[in-house]
Amino acid sequence: MSYEAIRERLARGETVLLDGAIGTEILRRQVSWADHQLQRRPEVVQAIHRDYILAGADVITTNTFQLTRRSFLNHFRDLAHLRHIGAPDLETRWRDLIRAGVRLAQAARAAAAGGRPVAIAGSLTTLEWCFRPDLAPSPAAAEAEYRETMAVFAEAGVDLLLIETVNAIREAVAAARAARSLGLPYWVSFVPDEEGRLFTGETLAEAVQALAPLAPEALLLNCAPPEDITRGLAVLAPVAPCPVGVYPHIGRFDPPEWLFTDEYPPERYAALGQQWRAMGARILGGCCGTTPDHIAALHRRLRPTA
Amino acid sequence: MSPAETLQRRLERGEWVLLDGALGTELVRRGVRWRDHGLRLAPGAVQALHEEYLLAGADVIRTNTFQLNRRLYLNVFRDRAHMRRIGAPDLEERPVRLLEQAVALARAARARVGRPEVAIAGVIGPLEHCFRPDLAPPATVARAEHAEIAQTLAGAGVDLLLLESMNTLAEAMAALAAARETGLPVWVSFVLGPEGDLLSGEPLAQAAQRVRREGAAAVLVNCAPPADIGRAVGVLAALGMRPIGAFAHIGRFDPPSWKFEFYPQFTGTEEWPPERYLAAARAWQAAGAQIIGGCCGTTPDHIRALRAGLEAAP
Repeated sequence: MSYEAIRERLARGETVLLDGAIGTEILRRQVSWADHQLQRRPEVVQAIHRDYILAGADVITTNTFQLTRRSFLNHFRDLAHLRHIGAPDLETRWRDLIRAGVRLAQAARAAAAGGRPVAIAGSLTTLEWCFRPDLAPSPAAAEAEYRETMAVFAEAGVDLLLIETVNAIREAVAAARAARSLGLPYWVSFVPDEEGRLFTGETLAEAVQALAPLAPEALLLNCAPPEDITRGLAVLAPVAPCPVGVYPHIGRFDPPEWLFTDEYPPERYAALGQQWRAMGARILGGCCGTTPDHIAALHRRLRPTA
Repeated sequence: MSPAETLQRRLERGEWVLLDGALGTELVRRGVRWRDHGLRLAPGAVQALHEEYLLAGADVIRTNTFQLNRRLYLNVFRDRAHMRRIGAPDLEERPVRLLEQAVALARAARARVGRPEVAIAGVIGPLEHCFRPDLAPPATVARAEHAEIAQTLAGAGVDLLLLESMNTLAEAMAALAAARETGLPVWVSFVLGPEGDLLSGEPLAQAAQRVRREGAAAVLVNCAPPADIGRAVGVLAALGMRPIGAFAHIGRFDPPSWKFEFYPQFTGTEEWPPERYLAAARAWQAAGAQIIGGCCGTTPDHIRALRAGLEAAP
């Protein structure tokens, strides 16, 4: 598998289904979160990938959101402190977990795709917390860190990178430059605020302008409530030079976990999906709170003949 | 005599007192899901652990409130507006309610075990992650936020306040001033960096003297490996300061692959069985430490070993 089948489908104007949530789905299955469960409960992660493939996802994302060197280092004053009181493998654990995450997605695809083309997207987000653009590192530091992280995904064999929940243009550009330097196809997905802007106050039109020269394969919106995603899509779709997509969250963030609500059951969610498709979205999936049933409902509505 | 007065008299007489051991790491080790400090999903487990420390002989038990503050929730959102938009409905008020609940659980444990003389220390951690002194808020902001926490704990009925794992002198001073306004005794405990000073790098001796001058009823050091704690006790003792105290962590901090303020997971703690920890604590006591207990990784077994093994009087 490569990205080619997805690219062709999008070029024909067809719908591509992304998977739904992984982190919150782990919680919904009564497994605690905290460490991605890639090593302690790999069978749970692989089962979630399988269920999304069986629901009809064309692209599944690895369970690697926010796995970077920095994620572990941030728990300590600095590297000296980490070495002094931290567990022995903390400097390299991010890399081992990314590899494990890609392997589980690959294993699920091998077992469940049944010859259907399913692409694996390596999931990454901002280097600091995805909702806190004020914490972002300098663009030069960010690009180097992204390159280090993305090289692990490339070596592990993902088909594309999904740089998601991005909160600032400069971080999107740093990540896009890193992805390009490694020759990997990539999507960038922004988290929009309630007015359809980035968390920095920058507009989506400005984001499109900044990224267009770096040729992203697609631009998306994620991790906001459906109505905010709709508002953002209305801005993004008319100006994007590439396919666009959306995958909102449903329910409420209840840190460090998720509060599931019944506001958007699968059929209602899929009806919104139809609306987003009519607005120009070609990539549809789900963020926090969504389940394989939501993706299956999207599939019934948007890919009835597939 | 109130528990705080009893404690004060004992320390003045030169006696030593036993603190409890870890709450967070022990709850996580027991399988409690670490959200809301376990207070919402597993209040029974929290109270049971308090009871075990009481039965192990602790003279002072600490509330399960380390770093339980508004920032714990607010920090993972862009700002308050974003929290209101996508967050669970009660997040703004939840920290205050959890502080009250944590005190209630400690009090219930004390009543159930029937040791009314035991003092309950209301624990206040740094406002930001305890191992990141670079994130400490400005002193005026810190003072206001610590004041709310201190007043809440005092109002819920703690006997003293313990400022734990303070990583900068400025925040310790701000928290101390806020805590003293409750009228309760306030102990200040510093977290050490690998160099043996405050995690911020500020000299331990000077920081200890500053908080003592500003009314700290005791100065302690915590959340560093036993050897580091031993050296720091030596530094405090050399100042002629009394009372001083110590509680080390054991094992290695093993944080999750996810952003949390402080996720209390320590691994490799089996390298420090109770007898070994007792041997380290004996040296602290010999050097002059009067308040001794355990930080991350320690268990009721460690506290029981200290009760049985440390000298009854200096």
